[in-house]
Amino acid sequence: MYSTDAQMVVLTVLAEGPRHGYAINTAIEALTGRKLGPGSLYGALTRLEARGLIEPAGEDGDAQERQRTMRITDAGRASLRVELEQLAKVTRAGLRALGAEPA
Amino acid sequence: MSAAGLIVALYPPAVRERWGAEIGREVAEAGPRSWPDAVAGAIRLWLRPGDWPETSAGQTRRVVAVALFGVTAAAMLLLRAAEPAPQPLAVPLWLPPLAAGVLLAAPLPPMRWRALRVVCAETVRTMAAPGVAVAAIFALAYSDATGVAVFAFYWATLAFAALRACTLVARCLRICVAPTTRRLRAALLLVGAGLLAGAYQTAAATAVAVTVALALLAALALRAGHNLVSPRPDRP
Repeated sequence: MYSTDAQMVVLTVLAEGPRHGYAINTAIEALTGRKLGPGSLYGALTRLEARGLIEPAGEDGDAQERQRTMRITDAGRASLRVELEQLAKVTRAGLRALGAEPA
Repeated sequence: MSAAGLIVALYPPAVRERWGAEIGREVAEAGPRSWPDAVAGAIRLWLRPGDWPETSAGQTRRVVAVALFGVTAAAMLLLRAAEPAPQPLAVPLWLPPLAAGVLLAAPLPPMRWRALRVVCAETVRTMAAPGVAVAAIFALAYSDATGVAVFAFYWATLAFAALRACTLVARCLRICVAPTTRRLRAALLLVGAGLLAGAYQTAAATAVAVTVALALLAALALRAGHNLVSPRPDRP
């Protein structure tokens, strides 16, 4: 899986609610049928946080736990929306080219 | 140390502090099939210092500076292996950019007597042992001693001195002023250019393995230098 794909899948999963690393990967497995490798997952989390698209979540609990549970930011939601709309456009065009009607 | 621990140790310090426990747990659970992805993830993150979380002020600059000295030290050992007897008075193509890069990335000593004394003490403490080893090499050279043991001792001493020089930079960065991001970027690009020149020159000397290693180090330095200031795209 390409790193940008990994970032999009992580954002999609976090759009449902805050999660920590292991829970993110479990949700990705439920969504795509396979887990991300540790390098892909934590690389994606690091890059998304650096871009301000996700942030540490939680007001309660100790600092370490807050640091590990991540949530999507408003910028992350906006970015994910743009990316998914572009992907949907490509999907529709591809299915039309193949002679299949999009669901 | 377990395989998971070793793989976690490959990650940049800031990423290790933030995600090290989770990465280690996932690598241990998934087993050897997760190792290539975990190692590739560590390499990708070293190439993108602009993405590292900062767990303390200036951490990225300090780590990049030490990594740059580490890359330079490794390159010097490779160049020594490829060109055991350099021509006297001939300045190799790779030397000026490499030296300029190292100077730019060097920690700036504080202009206070107390701090300067601490830096001097650290230098003596860190470099005393490699200094003794280098003196022993000279003594061996003048004694006309030869053999595998002397050869092994020579290379072990060079590697030890390189390691201690990097340790000295890391220790000085706690006391001295760390280079700015702009200086580090310029330093990485200069070192990358120097390593490319070195790869070119060793290719002419038919040292293929050294050429490939130098070219990889050059790519690492140039990529990291570019990422250190490149604007971050806002798409996922």
